[in-house]
Amino acid sequence: MTVSIGSRAGARAVRPPGPPPPRRGARTVLARWDVKLSPYLFISPYFLLFFLFGLFPMGYTVWVALHDWELLGTREFVGLENFRLVLTDPQFWNAVRNTLGMFVIATVPQLLLALVLANALNQRMRARTLVRMGVLVPMVTSIAAVAIVFGQLFSRDFGMVNWVLGWFGVENLDWTARRWTSWLAISVMVDWRWTGYNALIYLAAMQSIPRDLYEAAAIDGASRARQFWSITLPMLRPTIIFTAIVSTIGGFQLFTEPLLFGNGDMAGGSLRQFQTVTMYMFENAFRRFDYGYASAVSWMIFMLILLGSLLNFVWLRRMGGTK
Amino acid sequence: MRRSHRRLVSGLASVAVMALGLSACGDAGSDAGSDGTVTLTVDTFSTFGYEELFKRYEADHPGIKIKHRNVVQLDEYLPRLEQWIAAGSGAGDVVAIEEGILTKFMASPDKFVNLLDHGAGSLKAGFLDWKWRQALSPDGKYLVGLGTDIGGLAMCYRTDLFEKAGLPTDRAEVGELWPTWDAYIDTGRKYAAEVKDSKFVDGSVNLFNTILAQTASQSAGYTFFDTSGKLVADSNPPVRSAWDTTLRIQQAGLSAGLKSFEPSWGSGFKQAKFATIACPSWMLGVIKENAGAEASGKWDVAAIPGGSGSRGGSFLAVPKQSRHAAEAAELAKYLTGVQSQIAAFKARNNLPSSPQALDDPAVTSFKNEYFNDAPVGQIYARGAKAIKPLYLGADTNPVQQRFEDALLALEQGRLAPDAAWEKALDDAEREAR
Amino acid sequence: MIQKTPGRPRARRGGAVAGLWNAGPLTRITLLATIVLSVFPIYWMLVVATRTNDVVGSTPPPLVPGGELGRNLSRLFGNEQAHFTLGLVNSAIAATTVTVSTLLFASLAGFAFAKLRFRGRGALLLVMLATMMVPVQMGIIPLYMLMAEIGWTGELQAVIVPFLVTGFGVFMMRQYTMQALPDELIESARIDGCSTFRIYWSVVLPVMRPAMAVLGLFTFMQTWNEFIWPLAVLDPDNPTVQYSLNLLNGAYYTDYSLMFTGTAVATLPLLAVFVLFGRQIISGIMDGALKA
Repeated sequence: MTVSIGSRAGARAVRPPGPPPPRRGARTVLARWDVKLSPYLFISPYFLLFFLFGLFPMGYTVWVALHDWELLGTREFVGLENFRLVLTDPQFWNAVRNTLGMFVIATVPQLLLALVLANALNQRMRARTLVRMGVLVPMVTSIAAVAIVFGQLFSRDFGMVNWVLGWFGVENLDWTARRWTSWLAISVMVDWRWTGYNALIYLAAMQSIPRDLYEAAAIDGASRARQFWSITLPMLRPTIIFTAIVSTIGGFQLFTEPLLFGNGDMAGGSLRQFQTVTMYMFENAFRRFDYGYASAVSWMIFMLILLGSLLNFVWLRRMGGTK
Repeated sequence: MRRSHRRLVSGLASVAVMALGLSACGDAGSDAGSDGTVTLTVDTFSTFGYEELFKRYEADHPGIKIKHRNVVQLDEYLPRLEQWIAAGSGAGDVVAIEEGILTKFMASPDKFVNLLDHGAGSLKAGFLDWKWRQALSPDGKYLVGLGTDIGGLAMCYRTDLFEKAGLPTDRAEVGELWPTWDAYIDTGRKYAAEVKDSKFVDGSVNLFNTILAQTASQSAGYTFFDTSGKLVADSNPPVRSAWDTTLRIQQAGLSAGLKSFEPSWGSGFKQAKFATIACPSWMLGVIKENAGAEASGKWDVAAIPGGSGSRGGSFLAVPKQSRHAAEAAELAKYLTGVQSQIAAFKARNNLPSSPQALDDPAVTSFKNEYFNDAPVGQIYARGAKAIKPLYLGADTNPVQQRFEDALLALEQGRLAPDAAWEKALDDAEREAR
Repeated sequence: MIQKTPGRPRARRGGAVAGLWNAGPLTRITLLATIVLSVFPIYWMLVVATRTNDVVGSTPPPLVPGGELGRNLSRLFGNEQAHFTLGLVNSAIAATTVTVSTLLFASLAGFAFAKLRFRGRGALLLVMLATMMVPVQMGIIPLYMLMAEIGWTGELQAVIVPFLVTGFGVFMMRQYTMQALPDELIESARIDGCSTFRIYWSVVLPVMRPAMAVLGLFTFMQTWNEFIWPLAVLDPDNPTVQYSLNLLNGAYYTDYSLMFTGTAVATLPLLAVFVLFGRQIISGIMDGALKA
């Protein structure tokens, strides 16, 4: 997210009635205080809440992560020991692998589909709003509801997905049993909910592309497909980076879908085949009650998100740059 | 230092709250009402069969109201209970403690009210001796909980499916089919030869847990952890032998591959996907709940292969944080009394931990209508007093879950037997860390 | 990311610029298929909610609603494990409180950041933006420990107070105010002797209304649908509606018609909001996309 917050915005701000008109009396004093203090008063609820429930807990996580800190029992300073353990913990890396895997097989098709969908929506048609609403409606369902409904659709013996696959001679699949099947099912849930939303974001960006670019290209004899590749896509690059970063943040927080898909099993399947990093953090904090270790895990997640966003940014930039 | 820090935090937070115009409510349900009635919150899991007892108690004690909170899944319930106890708030006035977590709580008895201070000492004779001692500190001065039930073992089976397979359906004859687990497997093979659309047994998870409890209580007296708390999953013979027996049943193709307490397991009851299930006494209520009214009279109860044993069973305790400890202790004493244990047995077949209740004609002659009028009182109570106690280490539940995962992976065809065993041991070590 | 120049006319709403090309058959099929796939799971939820549990797994699956809704509803609200009524009430209270306070605090702070000058503004804004990058889950353990310390675990305020205003809300209000509110309006109000709060109340708020509607809808939806934090901090006997759903899910055996009735009831309020305000929500997302 590139936002200019510096000078430009500042310059446009209302000049406080700097040297107040030479008037005396309590009102003037009050007015001066009002101008001085009101801004701080206005932003203070946010910062107060943020400090209490955002910054303080996060800082505290560092402190906790440096301890062997358990619910009942020990509470002992151990330095970076927890971080060392996390880095060599196969269960953690397994969770990282699952998270990345699901992120890739959910996000890549999702964003591609969203592009196709946006392109389709960006055409003249009747009942435009209704069509857009139809595409967007999955967003209003809660993740818990999605997980419950899709969990049923993907169930081994009674699910509609297996029923349909049965037409093609596929035996009833236990979708939770294998790594790739569970990843696929979870990715479908994620994509179902978010593809329409991303499509609308792309649509907005498409509509802000000046028309004359296309008209000029058409005069030069460029086909529709060619126009899409050489005008629409490059112009969309910043938006694509944005959605990719948002998806990265969302992807690393994947939790509810896999949890409910496994019927509330924090371990994410018999071989932890769909346990995400957030589930792993949760398991350590609220099943093993190993707060210190769980805090270290949560910092690792944060690092991974930063790294992921950065990589996304660089990669998509470069990819666009060669075009 | 810690205290002042806590005060600072709560001070800041309450300022924030007041500034925002919200008021913190008191703790849920534990307050004395304005008219002097005391509300006692009781936390249980699965089925305890206390509904009628609560009503009776309220009728006999006009100043007491009882609020019952039940969580169905034990795996859901235990972490909550641990959090409540550790945090010093949130727990009910009377809480159910399952035997698998008792050891953990026994390590910090000060989190609970000493029931000996509330006159529980005179009740000692009302409990099986080992059950009494499990919740008693080694020096005999601190009693954390009073026993509710024990988990006597039997084998439940579906008469309609047995008939289809040409097997006997009479419970005595069925019991004679399988004096040992080997004989059980042979019977299963016969069944599988005749019936194709359902399996012989529900799944490895329930089998393993039952066989482990059975063989361990007949031999070592402990399972994954020895009595000093050391992880001995790899060297304690009952663990390996339960594993091997389960594996043989699985490899004979007898298992429906369902994991206990999962939705598909529940549906399996409804759809008659399996013909037998190892059933500790408390399992009868679960079967009835799952299989529903349409399966009434189709299930029956026979002796379990391999002899007696106990799996599961619970205690009632009063957390220190209770504001009505005296009243709560009275309620706990009442609920674990001989008459109450008999009532709970009749309601949900939770096998009494009181020898008097086990001898009571109301128990010994009790027949369960749902289970084809099986004399469950006689079946379960018969061997109950001979049951030897099991010591369960503090981390038994998580370790057990890792063994379940490995068995499930095996069943799903995701791991070879040796790899699954290695994995279970590795993961167990991780949990016990 | 795409900086919208402040003065640019907001012409995109008009139908004229909506599309360059007429939709061809392929496009129509794509859209139709998407809509069917989008709507089907929700429709399926409603079908199962109106039938008995036995139909689940029957082949072919029933595709029209049945007549069991009333019975399912009474089973849902009578379910002793799920506390569904309480869950609905709790979620309504939490979502409403969070929405109202987010609107108030976010518009106040957004106005301050957009139009008022004060020492440290740039730095504070940067801090706020940085916080928007931090995932919620990061703080969940210490936040839980904090709640335990102050005795809020299991209490409804635990899912309300920490979320009374978000960085996202402040940011959104700031962006909107910057481009929608001419400085002259504020200047002239000042000259008239209005206090800052008065300016906010009678000049800024009316201008902010469209953006507030969108922020309000989003905040309500998000709070209503929140799952992980209530699961961590609340107790089963005092749940939010999503937690109630999870309790239905964890009962003895899976009664899909009961669970689907639950999800349907939990989704219906949002579905109604969506149908009523679909246009605003869509334009909110699309406008937001250009400003973020």
